[in-house]
Amino acid sequence: MILYSIILATLMYGAVYSVLTLSLNFQYARGGMINFGLVAYFAAGAYAYAIFTQEAPSGLDQYLFGFDLPWYVGFLAAGAAALLFALITGWPTLRLRGEYLALTTFAFAEVLHSFLLNERRVGNGSVGLSNVDRFDPTVLGISDRLGYAVAAVALMLLTAWFYNRLLKSPFGRSVDAVHDDELAAQAVGKDDARIRLQVFIISAVPIGFAGALYAMITTLVAPSLFTAEITFFVWIALALGGEKTILGAILGTIALVLFQEVVGSIPFETSRAAEVAASAEEIITGILFIIVLRLRPWEKLSRESGA
Amino acid sequence: MSDTIVSVQNAVVDFGGFRAVGGKAGLSLDVKRGGFLGLIGPNGAGKSTTFNLISGVLKPTSGHVILDGKDMSSVRAAEISAHGLGRTFQTPRAFPSLSVFENVIIGADHSEDGPIDALMGRWIETDAVIKEKAEQVLQRVGLAERRNDSVENLSGGELRMLEVARQLIREPRILLLDEPTAGVDPTLQGKLAKILTELHASGTTLIVVEHNLGFLLKLADSIVVLLNGELLAKGDPDSIRRDPKVISAYLGADHEA
Repeated sequence: MILYSIILATLMYGAVYSVLTLSLNFQYARGGMINFGLVAYFAAGAYAYAIFTQEAPSGLDQYLFGFDLPWYVGFLAAGAAALLFALITGWPTLRLRGEYLALTTFAFAEVLHSFLLNERRVGNGSVGLSNVDRFDPTVLGISDRLGYAVAAVALMLLTAWFYNRLLKSPFGRSVDAVHDDELAAQAVGKDDARIRLQVFIISAVPIGFAGALYAMITTLVAPSLFTAEITFFVWIALALGGEKTILGAILGTIALVLFQEVVGSIPFETSRAAEVAASAEEIITGILFIIVLRLRPWEKLSRESGA
Repeated sequence: MSDTIVSVQNAVVDFGGFRAVGGKAGLSLDVKRGGFLGLIGPNGAGKSTTFNLISGVLKPTSGHVILDGKDMSSVRAAEISAHGLGRTFQTPRAFPSLSVFENVIIGADHSEDGPIDALMGRWIETDAVIKEKAEQVLQRVGLAERRNDSVENLSGGELRMLEVARQLIREPRILLLDEPTAGVDPTLQGKLAKILTELHASGTTLIVVEHNLGFLLKLADSIVVLLNGELLAKGDPDSIRRDPKVISAYLGADHEA
């Protein structure tokens, strides 16, 4: 039973985070943009979903907006909110390169985090929004967790298909070309500024959808759930799985989530033991990360497949 | 339709305190529609800077660049390229993430290359036609055998031909080539001369920077000589060969006229 619950949780969270890793793969490994503010698009999606589906405020609620709309409207709003936030943050920053872009995207994410924490009229401050409305999978005759695991895997597969279709087209070639050499790309009429902005915005949309799904799973949306830790988790997953392959991005993420789920499911007698385990998890994650970066198994993989 | 397709008017390019192009009065030069202009001059004369100016990579500090009657002085390079101007670079540029074949085909797929086109699959219809075109272009530049290679395996001369191929497939109205024969072996140079003759015959306007004068003076119908960013002389190849100013500044006294 524990095994079943670990597998289900790994699939569910692994698939949700895979959407982020796939988006980062597109944006960074193909588009060449270093984004350290991924969590902001995830949060924008989750909050948009909560605001569109929750009931209007009552009692002690400090938020102003609750539209009480069906879950699928909230889901679409999540994609739109992430897109909008990418547009607002991408427009002024995409002239920047490398570490400068990394810093500004990180700063934007921190601004959003701090805004959500302090502006109670939007997200109820640090308490967050807990009236998140959601689709109930039990009406289909399956358990709640199984239902959301299936939904997460479906979103992940759809996202993989989406990026695959983009990358296998002339647009994908343009993305690679702009990444490789902007001047040469301009010389064949590729507008590098437009393509970079397109990549930046497009990759935010699936992250927004993942945010909505995450809100449905947790039924709570609060600033403490959306910290820079998520951004770095996704970066580690991408490094684990190896850049430039869609399968690698998914496997890297699922492996990392599995590891955390296994550690998390170990029963502890004392709170001291749990604390030790939590630190050990972080240390082992770090060591794994170093080993993987040292051995670079994906290079061997891509050589063997002749890619 | 005016007879002049490229017109540089009193253009000045300053890099900080250094004036790369323009001298005192600014550089002015006109290129005839369908003409073949050779641009020559010693190293540092401003030939490549002039190319960057015409192709929009650099903006004039003052003066104008007119292409086909339109002032392009503040238009971005990508847009100028999309208007039918092609160029190569002094140091050949390729896209290492793409194969040799993809490095050529990317020159052709400029109409259906957006993300919506990708999702709708709009490009698939024209794909076969474009691939066929890329094959033909690779044949023309002698790289057909290398189509699936990584560009990192190409020699310097082959990279130059690859860049020419990427522009050929776009069928630009104006083509700027920066030292196309540098590092290119005699066989490929022969292919290149044939390609340029064909382009010239088909009405493409050509501007070529070249130090290989034996190659250039045979093909071009007019020559502009630059020195220190200023126009030193212009005329047909024969008069340039005999011009004493050009001989002393660039060709050297022992040049065989």
